[in-house]
Amino acid sequence: MPDKILKLGEGVEGLFIKNTRFNTTRISANFYLPLNAETVAEYALLPFILTTCSKKYPDFSRLNYKLNRLYGASLDASAEKYGDYQLLRITLSVINDRFSLDEESLARRGAELLCGLIFEPSTENNAFLKADLDREKRKVIEHIKGEFSEKRVYAKNRLIEEMYKGEAYGLPKCGSIEGVEKITGESLYFAWKKMLETAFVRFHVVGSEVPQGLFEVITEKFSKVQRENIIEPTKTMPTLARTRSKTITENIDVNQGKLVMGFSSEVYGNDDESLSLLIAGDIFGGGPYSRLFSFVREKMSLCYYCSARTIRQKGLLTVESGIEAENAEKAQKAILNQLKIVKAGKFSDFEFESSKKSICDSLKGYNDSQQSIDMWYALKINNDEIYSPEDIAEKISAITREDVIKAAEGIRLHTVYKLLPLEAKESEGK
Amino acid sequence: MKREYFENEIGEAYVKAVHSSGLEIYILEKPQYNSAYAVFGTRYGSIDTCFKVDGETVTVPEGIAHFLEHKLFESEEGDAFTRFAETGAYANAFTSFDRTCYLFSCTDKFYENLDILLDFVQSPYFTEQTVKKEQGIIGQEIRMYDDSPGWRVMFNMLMAMYHNHPVRIDIAGTVESIAEIDYDLLYKCYNTFYNPSNMFICVAGNVDTEKILNKVKNGLKPREEVILERITTDEPENVVENYVEQSLAVAQPMFCLGFKESHKSPERSAKEKIRTALAIEVIAGEASPLYARLVNKGLINDEFSSEYFNGFGYAAVTFDGESSDPKAVAEEIKAEIERIKTEGIDKKLFSAVRCGMYGGAIRMFNNVESIAMQLTDCAMTGNGLFDDIKYLKSVTAEDVYKKILKIDTENFVLSVINPKE
Repeated sequence: MPDKILKLGEGVEGLFIKNTRFNTTRISANFYLPLNAETVAEYALLPFILTTCSKKYPDFSRLNYKLNRLYGASLDASAEKYGDYQLLRITLSVINDRFSLDEESLARRGAELLCGLIFEPSTENNAFLKADLDREKRKVIEHIKGEFSEKRVYAKNRLIEEMYKGEAYGLPKCGSIEGVEKITGESLYFAWKKMLETAFVRFHVVGSEVPQGLFEVITEKFSKVQRENIIEPTKTMPTLARTRSKTITENIDVNQGKLVMGFSSEVYGNDDESLSLLIAGDIFGGGPYSRLFSFVREKMSLCYYCSARTIRQKGLLTVESGIEAENAEKAQKAILNQLKIVKAGKFSDFEFESSKKSICDSLKGYNDSQQSIDMWYALKINNDEIYSPEDIAEKISAITREDVIKAAEGIRLHTVYKLLPLEAKESEGK
Repeated sequence: MKREYFENEIGEAYVKAVHSSGLEIYILEKPQYNSAYAVFGTRYGSIDTCFKVDGETVTVPEGIAHFLEHKLFESEEGDAFTRFAETGAYANAFTSFDRTCYLFSCTDKFYENLDILLDFVQSPYFTEQTVKKEQGIIGQEIRMYDDSPGWRVMFNMLMAMYHNHPVRIDIAGTVESIAEIDYDLLYKCYNTFYNPSNMFICVAGNVDTEKILNKVKNGLKPREEVILERITTDEPENVVENYVEQSLAVAQPMFCLGFKESHKSPERSAKEKIRTALAIEVIAGEASPLYARLVNKGLINDEFSSEYFNGFGYAAVTFDGESSDPKAVAEEIKAEIERIKTEGIDKKLFSAVRCGMYGGAIRMFNNVESIAMQLTDCAMTGNGLFDDIKYLKSVTAEDVYKKILKIDTENFVLSVINPKE
């Protein structure tokens, strides 16, 4: 269970999640900013450039040498979507002092390193250095292009893009290639400043204690920043239902097709009601007990994989499946038919109970992983009260069949995206 | 049961017990944790296509170990997934080159789950009809992997590296090879490899060792011992060809570069693995001069990774990733290995990466899944769980240098996936 939230500055919070079972201490810096087309690429580049060099460690080799010296401290960066916001994360994890032969605390040195990366990047004349910028831009562009190589990822990305055209949530999490190409040393410096000034910020420590002085240093650093126009990441738009669903088909030179579907829901957000939606989505296509797995995959052999996921915050349900092209229509019908059954409440007690048990069992394991527990609280910003995974497990245990049916009622097909082999085109046209 | 206790200075301890049937059981207790992770495995993977059992030499179709894994989830009363669903556990299975493992993780009802695991792995049930159906499902799985560039780039490399060793064949087999699998062959393989004397159970997490050992003792079905012998393939030292390529729907080229190793015994020791892992870090780790050069020249990105790929009768040092110019990456890596051979090893870099790896070995004990998986490695190789930490303390730059000297930069394969059109 976390302590109460500490205020480290205007819109800057510190959260200590005490957990003594690990050999390491994990610190994460989480920056939340509104998603929008003009800034998405610049903001997304920040965690990556900030974790490859800094004033003190101006090149990658030196920084990594240092990380090795800190007993293999692991430093990670990511840029994710959090509803209609961007979540930029930098995390550092170091082994506990009792394992090191050094006199000075590893956690303290790790915390210092992390602060150095965030607050003192390698810049010159209010701009990031060209060599660093070019390198990181290239890497992100290659990453964006690389998503095409894994067709499962590509198909899902295309679905989201089509579902949310013109909306914040439809933006790719690292921006577009054109957006990345436009970034200059100056514009990125400006984005870094803006992140420090306007982002809602949350620092987490997961471990047996807060590294000495960490929260004080952060407080001090932010006291020198002009904090203004801070936007708390609390207003995510729900997925709007479509009166008629849209279908997009793309043909690529592959063997196997992908069928992905997006659904809107009338229930959304992070409240209790949306937990029922989570169960509905799980009965539909969660574990091996789900309708999609046991009927569409196992009984009907229509897909090699077929599963559903719920993004409660957005009121979004997605289905992903791998299909043979000739089964595309049949699979789609079968998937929709299973949804109908869930909506009508015709799922079995076994499916209902299995779903709740499976979700509760996995929630109770969150505290056994530093990454999971860190991420859990990074995604729990909207609630007035901070719920632990155990709290949510308790709420889930109390959900009834009626709750699930009610939550499922408002699920509507929104968009279908099909990725099919080239030769499938002709047969479809006939 | 015969038992051995192991503990080390970082405060972890585990038990290795051997049942009279020959089954090995490894347990590491983590009482502060909520969850537990259990694996029931057999030393049987995709490379076991030719073996001698009770004096008879048998050759079976490729992909049969993986096929059997799929089938074992079914029983007369329903499938194992359904039984685990009733307890809320997460269950899965996988087949690799040298092993097949069935596993679950849970925070509740551990012993009930263990009973299910013990029971379904020991209760094969197939019919002509279910075997037929599975051929269709696995056929789809194989076709899915045909579209996966990451999978193709590796197997293309292995096919160009090995003349005869079955590691060159896709774990799931081919659509043609799985068509040859039938009811009798499945039972033949099951009865040979799923004998307790060839199996192991590994558990880590919030569990009680005595209770587990009792459960296992009572849950083991009596089986006659089989005399099993793996037939080692005669594998030449050289690779088949240095370069292979394929075109797929990818945005940019992907590569896998491997240096083939020859050796006298089929298994690598823990010491050898640590030495090689350190050698790879010194050559191309993120703190190495080569890594910086490759990134700065625009030749690699964050997808770059390296591995000591090894198992029964095969070993190679491999590097893979995405690159606009895979051949240039391969040349740079070879040149760097040769440079270290002539100039010697950077002692400061060695000592830093050793320190980093030591921290990593301690970090591993944070996670019950990693521990259980590492225990399965112990069961497969006979190495101890704490060997890495032990050798990391004693390994020298000279040991690592000697390993680098042994990498034959001429005996390599570069596998490339090019974008179509």
